[in-house]
Amino acid sequence: MSLVKADVRVVKPADADGAAETAITIDPAEPVFAGHYPNYPIFPGVCVVDSVHRGALATAPAAVALASVESARFLGAVLPGDVLRMDLKWTRDGNDWLCGGKAHTGRGAAASVKLRYRAVS
Amino acid sequence: MIMEADRIRDLLPHRYPMLLVDRVLDAEPGVSLTAVKAITVNEPCFADGGDVAYPEVLMMESWGQAAGVLVLLGEELGDRVMLFGSMSGVDIHRRVFPGDVLEHRVRIFRALADTVIFEGDCRVAGEPVMTVTRMVMAFRGVTT
Repeated sequence: MSLVKADVRVVKPADADGAAETAITIDPAEPVFAGHYPNYPIFPGVCVVDSVHRGALATAPAAVALASVESARFLGAVLPGDVLRMDLKWTRDGNDWLCGGKAHTGRGAAASVKLRYRAVS
Repeated sequence: MIMEADRIRDLLPHRYPMLLVDRVLDAEPGVSLTAVKAITVNEPCFADGGDVAYPEVLMMESWGQAAGVLVLLGEELGDRVMLFGSMSGVDIHRRVFPGDVLEHRVRIFRALADTVIFEGDCRVAGEPVMTVTRMVMAFRGVTT
């Protein structure tokens, strides 16, 4: 279901305030690097969003489906071998759920992402 | 102006498994472009089985690559790289599946020196499946 083979690990499940932590180790052998880009491997921005999204699904307070990328800003490159750590924060918004994610590598901030989910039965 | 995948591959630096535009149906350089991406069950993302809904983030990547083609029609990439700067208000209206053909409709909202801002949507059989309020792409020199 994902182009990224590595699992997103739950480091800390969501607490009472909706804060959670997840991480993924970016294996240099990930298939995506063959095409993004040949001779210049960069973990694609959408794969960072995908990692935040998969971490969100793994820590979600209810059954949810992605409704919107409200915002995503890419702040620094994610490279083969990096560990991408993601601090997530779940909040309720009417019938929807919002998940804010700050992703960072050992070199600093990688992305700031805000996802909106709708509840599904 | 119809462009097949060979010409798209000449313009974009992306390659398998991350070359996600199949054909350009129509383009007005500097203004707008319509491109398609057909989804099949043979996509690498379905190789391990499971859910056959196409990952939403790959629909966004495919749309962004169509936006890249629009820019690169007017100026070759050369030794620069194409980087995803940001996106906002990207709404998913429904999931898409093998057999669906994504039609990306991309318009340039604003073009700055090395940054271009896009807007538009993605449709399947005329029905909007994704709205892109803003997507920002940067074209930067490689400094290594």
